[in-house]
Amino acid sequence: MADIVLNEVSKSFGAVSVLDKVSMHIKSGEFIVFLGPSGCGKSTLLRMIAGLEQVSEGEIFIGDRRVDQLPPNERGVSMVFQNYALYPHMSVRDNMSFGLQNVGTPKDEIARRVDEAARMLEIGQLLDRKPAQLSGGQRQRVAIGRAIVREPVAFLLDEPLSNLDAGLRVRTRVELAQLHHRIGTTMIFVTHDQTEAMTLASRIVVMNNRRIEQIGKPMEIYSRPASRFVAAFVGSPAMNFLPVTGVSDAGGFAAISFAGQGPVTTTVPFTDIPKDKLTFGIRAEAARISREGQGVTGVVDVVERLGERTLVYVSLPDGTPLIAEDEGVSAVEPGQTVHIAIDGGAGIIFDEPGKAYHAAK
Amino acid sequence: MIRNHRGEVAIAYLFILPFVLTYGVLFLWPTLQMVYLSFTDAPLIGPGEWIGFENYVEMFDDRRFWTSVKNTAYFVALTVIPNTLIGLAIAMMVSRLKGWQQSLILAMFFLPYILPVSVVYRIWNWMFNLQFGIMQYPLTWVFGKPTPVFRTQWMFMPAVAFVTIWWTCGFNILLFLSGLRSISTDIYEAAALDNASRWTIFRRITWPLIWPVTALVLTIQLILQLKIFDQVYLFVQGGRPDPSMVLVQYIYSQAFQKNQGGYAAAIAVALFVIVIVFSVLQFQLLRARGEK
Repeated sequence: MADIVLNEVSKSFGAVSVLDKVSMHIKSGEFIVFLGPSGCGKSTLLRMIAGLEQVSEGEIFIGDRRVDQLPPNERGVSMVFQNYALYPHMSVRDNMSFGLQNVGTPKDEIARRVDEAARMLEIGQLLDRKPAQLSGGQRQRVAIGRAIVREPVAFLLDEPLSNLDAGLRVRTRVELAQLHHRIGTTMIFVTHDQTEAMTLASRIVVMNNRRIEQIGKPMEIYSRPASRFVAAFVGSPAMNFLPVTGVSDAGGFAAISFAGQGPVTTTVPFTDIPKDKLTFGIRAEAARISREGQGVTGVVDVVERLGERTLVYVSLPDGTPLIAEDEGVSAVEPGQTVHIAIDGGAGIIFDEPGKAYHAAK
Repeated sequence: MIRNHRGEVAIAYLFILPFVLTYGVLFLWPTLQMVYLSFTDAPLIGPGEWIGFENYVEMFDDRRFWTSVKNTAYFVALTVIPNTLIGLAIAMMVSRLKGWQQSLILAMFFLPYILPVSVVYRIWNWMFNLQFGIMQYPLTWVFGKPTPVFRTQWMFMPAVAFVTIWWTCGFNILLFLSGLRSISTDIYEAAALDNASRWTIFRRITWPLIWPVTALVLTIQLILQLKIFDQVYLFVQGGRPDPSMVLVQYIYSQAFQKNQGGYAAAIAVALFVIVIVFSVLQFQLLRARGEK
């Protein structure tokens, strides 16, 4: 059990910089998810913690040991690879034993640990098979099993669910959460899937363009995104971004107008925000179809019925698109003019570079 | 759906006919003729009398035949396994290089393979030349005086084997390199996290995973080296051929120098059987080992 600390870690391949001064403190036992689009550097960061990539600058500590110059095997971490990286010529048992054999663990101890991990992952009946004889989900379990038997200080998982089909992915996700709950070891999980991040993480590290955009608990990331990028990347459907046409002071709070409508009073302090080139961010669930004829008006383009709720794609009078939400059983039809009640208190204001302004905590 | 089955079969036969004809005329028929010839006392050209197993009986009593079998076996032992292991070793080194460096080094190792045997002979005859050969420097250092390698009986086969390995290694390197590239880098990364030392990685990851390529290279080498002729024939020029006679060379000398077509055919049949038996046996054995 040990904390993992990254101190201004940078990475460049030749002249190409892929990570720029990344710092974070991962507490022992946390489930950390690195979330970001392809090419943001999240996998490289994980591989640097594992020791599979050299650190160009900065320091990495595991516990109180500085590890950034140590080879992978001396860092005490296990890794689960995206394509599992099982040894194809070895049986499942040998795959799981290999690492322990290499450090001279006694045979009966190896057998005990492998059997225990196999029982936990329900792969006991597969121990004599070769990886080629396993399904994708079974291979995934073996890869996790191989990581578990080494009793690491942290598990590093590089998009481990991306090769599974949709149903299995959801099931494995739940099992992974259970596993973390049971063994309590630090896990660092890389994904570009915001659902995986939201459901699994104790804390999410949102990364974009070589840097950390925000570190926070899932709901904090969701309701108080630090930047327009985070707001757009997390949440489904994506947050609405409405160009602000006017801003005024309403009792200390910013009241904003957009698309010739409003004003909508927010809970963002008026004095906090710049007054120019702003964008108003509002999630679909805070822009609800109003039957009382309140709020902004728009024409319905598309109606998506999801069962428990309905997404309504609306064009505001000046053409700005807006996704609003309605109840599961909705009478709204395309072509219809609707009223949308905007919950200003849930709104976020972004300045031009993309910094977010929230209600005071 | 009802299809004209007979018509389809006819078309299929039509398509394979050119190959079957070529194969039959240029390979199958001569092979059968050779087997037939081995039961006659035919000269090199023209028919002979049927003499049953007489050629084979003679062959088993022929001291020079057994010498050539022994020499061929010795040559195979000197080349097949060393050539394979050296190919693997060089391929592993080359695979550590990146980009243009790898291409350059690979091209350098592969270059000898494209040379015709006569050029290879010229190069190495010169390299080992008693007066001017650069190889005489290390030889003098070892033996105390310049050594006529291809005129010294015990050195002849090892020297020809050495030249053969130099000549043909490039192709094996290429096969091994493509085999090594097909092993995913993830597996090596997993092994690095699994505390595997370099030697463990080779012994437990690389060697078993490259084994199918190794089996293939060994088999190709075995077939190729059993048929050794050119190098021995060229390097022995001007010396006494008998002590270093190999099987194909003996067939050649019986047929084209002694005008004994029937007897030469019998030895050729013997070589044919040896090649088939050993290559099939070896390949089966190697495959069985790989599946363990």
